[in-house]
Amino acid sequence: MLLPKFEFHEPESIEKALALKKQLNSGARFLAGGTDLLVYLKKKIVSTDHVISLQRIDGLGEIQENESNLFIGACTTMAAISRHPAVLKRFCALKSGADNMGTHLIRNRATIGGNVCNASPAGDTLPALLVYDAVALVESPDGKREIPLTDFFKGPGKTDLKNDDILTGFRLPYPPDHSGAHYIQLGKRKSAEINVVNAASFLTCEPGTSNILSARIALGSVAPTPIRAPEAEAALMGRTAGDDTFNAAAETARFKDCSPIDDFRGSAAYRRAMVGVLTKRTLAEAFDQARA
Amino acid sequence: MKKLIQMTINDRAYEVAVEPNKTLADLIRYDLGLTGTKKGCDTGDCGACTVILNGDPVNSCLVLAVQADNAVIETIEGLSTDDGLHPLQQAFVEKGAIQCGFCTPGMILSAKNLLDKNPAPTEAEIREGISGNLCRCTGYQKIFEAIESTRS
Repeated sequence: MLLPKFEFHEPESIEKALALKKQLNSGARFLAGGTDLLVYLKKKIVSTDHVISLQRIDGLGEIQENESNLFIGACTTMAAISRHPAVLKRFCALKSGADNMGTHLIRNRATIGGNVCNASPAGDTLPALLVYDAVALVESPDGKREIPLTDFFKGPGKTDLKNDDILTGFRLPYPPDHSGAHYIQLGKRKSAEINVVNAASFLTCEPGTSNILSARIALGSVAPTPIRAPEAEAALMGRTAGDDTFNAAAETARFKDCSPIDDFRGSAAYRRAMVGVLTKRTLAEAFDQARA
Repeated sequence: MKKLIQMTINDRAYEVAVEPNKTLADLIRYDLGLTGTKKGCDTGDCGACTVILNGDPVNSCLVLAVQADNAVIETIEGLSTDDGLHPLQQAFVEKGAIQCGFCTPGMILSAKNLLDKNPAPTEAEIREGISGNLCRCTGYQKIFEAIESTRS
């Protein structure tokens, strides 16, 4: 398969990248890891006259530990996220998502910004980013702005980004003490798989008790975008953590929060059933961590 | 417009002018003649085009050659020395881990990367370490045994 002809640009700053994009308008595409874009170009799903690489922009591939949050640059690879000490320590569900994306070869190139901008309903890092309350940091010629990840996804492959925007990274608030989170993806094999269902849960408990102070659940592959599960979350708030509570939340997620479809990876009914199972299992594991 | 790039492949310095739409796999195979790197799917699924780029194994079909400017690259041709085959290559021969041979360069480079970073991998780590490389002859067990025999 041949790549179509294009001009290649490698700006060294966000300002230069923004100026280039504005000048070239819709004829240009941003390149991060390339594991999606180059496939789309080869298969002629996407065409472009100009490719603007974000690879050489300082800071876009970095993870920074701030006082109250973690910054993850948009061009950070899955492999780099997976081995970063702050991710291992505080954001294990994100590590799990990054570890399960594609293959180990893909993970050495694929970036978190690309995973998010690709906006697949089945994206591996997306449920974890949603339950960690990640905020997307965006720059455009008009200035900087922040988009909570809950507002970022608009449909399969569609995001809130405008043509001139660059996603520069994410800010993830550090989880409070007595919190836990867990991610599970369900597929037909362990590697190079597109999820049938994936889910993440996050819980914070009152110190010394099993009372749930906050709960967030995110589901993938069961709606046009990765989604939060507000009804199931409401069923957990203020309750005592345990099997009965988790079962009730799982049933709520299964019947009220998701809207899966039949496709060749699985039936809607199977997906719905698995939403229940994964919600329950991720909650139970998150709770074990929260009280550890 | 062609761009002049520099790279080190198997300890040899190269300077080549490349079109922006040329992949690293095509550059290595067709311009530099290092045909040990194979092209299977060309979409990052099969791992036949695996090379080690700046210390990490990647699908060279999904890297633009221009992105590899100033990179240090290792291909299958860089493994053997004047003393003979690399221990992993020798193990693949001895354990019958090669059938048609098309996946072998990628398999060996993924395995080499695994053993360089983790000299004593568990069974699960070995299987995970080659999970980005498909063998169409389905000789995975022999490949696994060959890698297992070289771990410390």
